[in-house]
Amino acid sequence: MIEYDEIENRMVLKLVYYGPSFSGKTSNLLSLHDILDREGRGDLMVLDTKDDRTIFFDLLPFFLTAPSGLKIKLKVYTVPGQVKHDATRKAVLQRADGVAFIADSQISEETNNFESFKNLENSLTFVGLSIEKIPLVIQFNKGDLHNIISEVDIGRVWKPTGIPIFLASALYGWGIVETFSKLVGLTYDYIDKRYRLKQDHGLDIETFVQKLTCRSEEREQGGNG
Amino acid sequence: MRKDQEYKCNHSIEYVVGCEKSLREIIREDEMMPLLKGAVRAGAAAVKIVDSEGGILWEYVDTLNKGVFSEKLPLHLEGEIAGHIVIKGEKETNLKGLSELLLYTVKIVMNNNLKRMLTAEIHTTVVNQSYEELLETNRRLKISEKKYRELAGSLEKKVQERTEELKMANVKLIQQEKMASIGQLAAGVAHEINNPMGFISSNIGTFRSYAESLVEFINAQSEIIESFNPTDAIEGLKEKRERLKLDYILEDIKELIKESLEGADRVKKIVSGLKGFSHIDEGDKAIIDINEEIERTLHVLTHEIPEDAEIIRDFHSLPGFTCNPAVLCQVFLNIILNSIQARKKGLKFVIRTGCEDEIIRITFSDNGPGIPKEIRNRIFEPFFTTKEIGKGTGMGLTVVYEVIDAYSGSIDVESQPGKGTTFNIVLPLGKNAKIR
Ligand SMILES: Nc1nc2c(ncn2[C@@H]2O[C@H](COP(=O)(O)OP(=O)(O)O)[C@@H](O)[C@H]2O)c(=O)[nH]1
Ligand SMILES: Nc1ncnc2c1ncn2[C@@H]1O[C@H](COP(=O)(O)OP(=O)(O)O)[C@@H](O)[C@H]1O
Ligand SMILES: [Mg+2]
Ligand SMILES: [Mg+2]
Repeated sequence: MIEYDEIENRMVLKLVYYGPSFSGKTSNLLSLHDILDREGRGDLMVLDTKDDRTIFFDLLPFFLTAPSGLKIKLKVYTVPGQVKHDATRKAVLQRADGVAFIADSQISEETNNFESFKNLENSLTFVGLSIEKIPLVIQFNKGDLHNIISEVDIGRVWKPTGIPIFLASALYGWGIVETFSKLVGLTYDYIDKRYRLKQDHGLDIETFVQKLTCRSEEREQGGNG
Repeated sequence: MRKDQEYKCNHSIEYVVGCEKSLREIIREDEMMPLLKGAVRAGAAAVKIVDSEGGILWEYVDTLNKGVFSEKLPLHLEGEIAGHIVIKGEKETNLKGLSELLLYTVKIVMNNNLKRMLTAEIHTTVVNQSYEELLETNRRLKISEKKYRELAGSLEKKVQERTEELKMANVKLIQQEKMASIGQLAAGVAHEINNPMGFISSNIGTFRSYAESLVEFINAQSEIIESFNPTDAIEGLKEKRERLKLDYILEDIKELIKESLEGADRVKKIVSGLKGFSHIDEGDKAIIDINEEIERTLHVLTHEIPEDAEIIRDFHSLPGFTCNPAVLCQVFLNIILNSIQARKKGLKFVIRTGCEDEIIRITFSDNGPGIPKEIRNRIFEPFFTTKEIGKGTGMGLTVVYEVIDAYSGSIDVESQPGKGTTFNIVLPLGKNAKIR
């Protein structure tokens, strides 16, 4: 956790979208930005412009307030996938509250996925976090493409880890919110244990997830209906 | 171990991406003030930036100017309102544009600073971490370096072994080549030795029968002298002398001995030529007449040349040529032998010599089968032969080439398959550059 200020009644959380280069981490945030309701989130800060390769991550902030008045800010970051930015990845992972591992579904990327996942494991250890404990979901992105690893194969390899797996396409926007919802839910459980969100702040998991993942069209529909 | 690692980790990554920052942490006084001053100079009465609680962060006021209107724009940071820009002035229209311009500028400064800070802080982290990693890498490198050094050690040994092997093989090859050319030479020399030896032994054979006659005559002489009948004796001696053609014999003995000695002398020279082959340019030098040497070579080959062969000599007088005669004969021998071997029946062999402009030209032409175009540029190669094993060594023309080359000359071949082959030799006079 980045910050918990009891006096200010404020909590800052950090989620990280991790994965190999080009697997679609930025696309995930762009997609979330498109799909999710404006009310609960800020704008996407893409520092990683084409001409500006020195800043290496993107940030999408979310906001919600618990019934107790506790202001929660959730910062969702991407990490740079390239091997050379290992230090940046670690700095981003530092004090993270949850991780979404974005894998590339293409068969050709299988090795990169494994390597990146191993790198995640090492980096977490390095910053004093445990892959066993930290909220973690895996997403196989680019599911819209043809030459992709089959669902059966994905299951065979990754199911035994017990980590929730999602198939998605950031390009077409499916599986993206599902991935994020699961991660947010796991993160709630993780935080709740220590900060008693429900007990002390009246914030239950359903509300927490619903508020962070409210789709624009849902609200529109809600408004109309 | 794990504790250790955790300890290390806590110390190597200090920077946390995502830590909350206030406006004052992001923008410096000296960056903000010129912007505010600029706004005032552009017509605003007062400009200030306040934080989210309304506390003044930066302010610039034009005391002469009392603004009545004011404009307030929120300043967003990471999706939250971090503060406001408050601007006052006399004209409302002017203010709106000014405040928007200012907001836009502040945002750019803020964003740039944010990027710079993140970069700088991450850079520090990288440096710190790199140090840790360097230590680790260094440790691992040391281990692998040891491994590679061992490997390199054995590699060097292997390379040395291979080099040694190669050297040996090369030496062997050179040796083989030498042996082969010496063998070829010896074969040629054997021909040469055989022929003078032929006439030496036949001369000596003749000499033996002459000697028998002499012995018979001397014996008869003794008998007659023993009979003490001088008149009869003188007649008998006369008669005997005539019958044994002693006068002729006595005459021929001189000639035979002279010839035999010459032959023996040549054998000596050939053998010394053989010794000197590897040092063509150092051999016994003599001024020779090439026409004579060709004639001598033909003579040596008498037994090899088919009886029906027609040998046409188109010789022109030549100046003396300084060379090792035995070696030059070897050249002629090799070329003539090839032609003899190329056509057994009906060989017509033309030898033409001449000298012009200090250059001796020798041409050997046969009416043999010729040399196919495909192999014409290979015939001078060592060991190149089209003849069956035991017959050809493929060294003949190689030796020819080397010798001619040693005398700064040149040789080329013209051939029309089915018609014949011509070898043209050019030997420069005087400037026998390679000959000391
Ligand atoms: N077909 C397809 N392409 C995708 C998808 N998600 C991302 N991409 C493409 O993959 C490339 C890398 O995406 P990006 O989000 O920049 O990857 P990052 O390096 O992980 O941030 C871009 O060209 C995207 O358009 C997807 O779901 N389907
Ligand atoms: N006068 C010639 N007529 C036809 N072929 C020839 C003649 N002279 C040389 N050659 C060809 O050149 C080859 C090489 O000749 P040489 O070096 O003397 O080696 P060798 O006589 O041992 O084969 C011969 O095998 C033959 O094929
Ligand atoms: Mg990206
Ligand atoms: Mg030959």
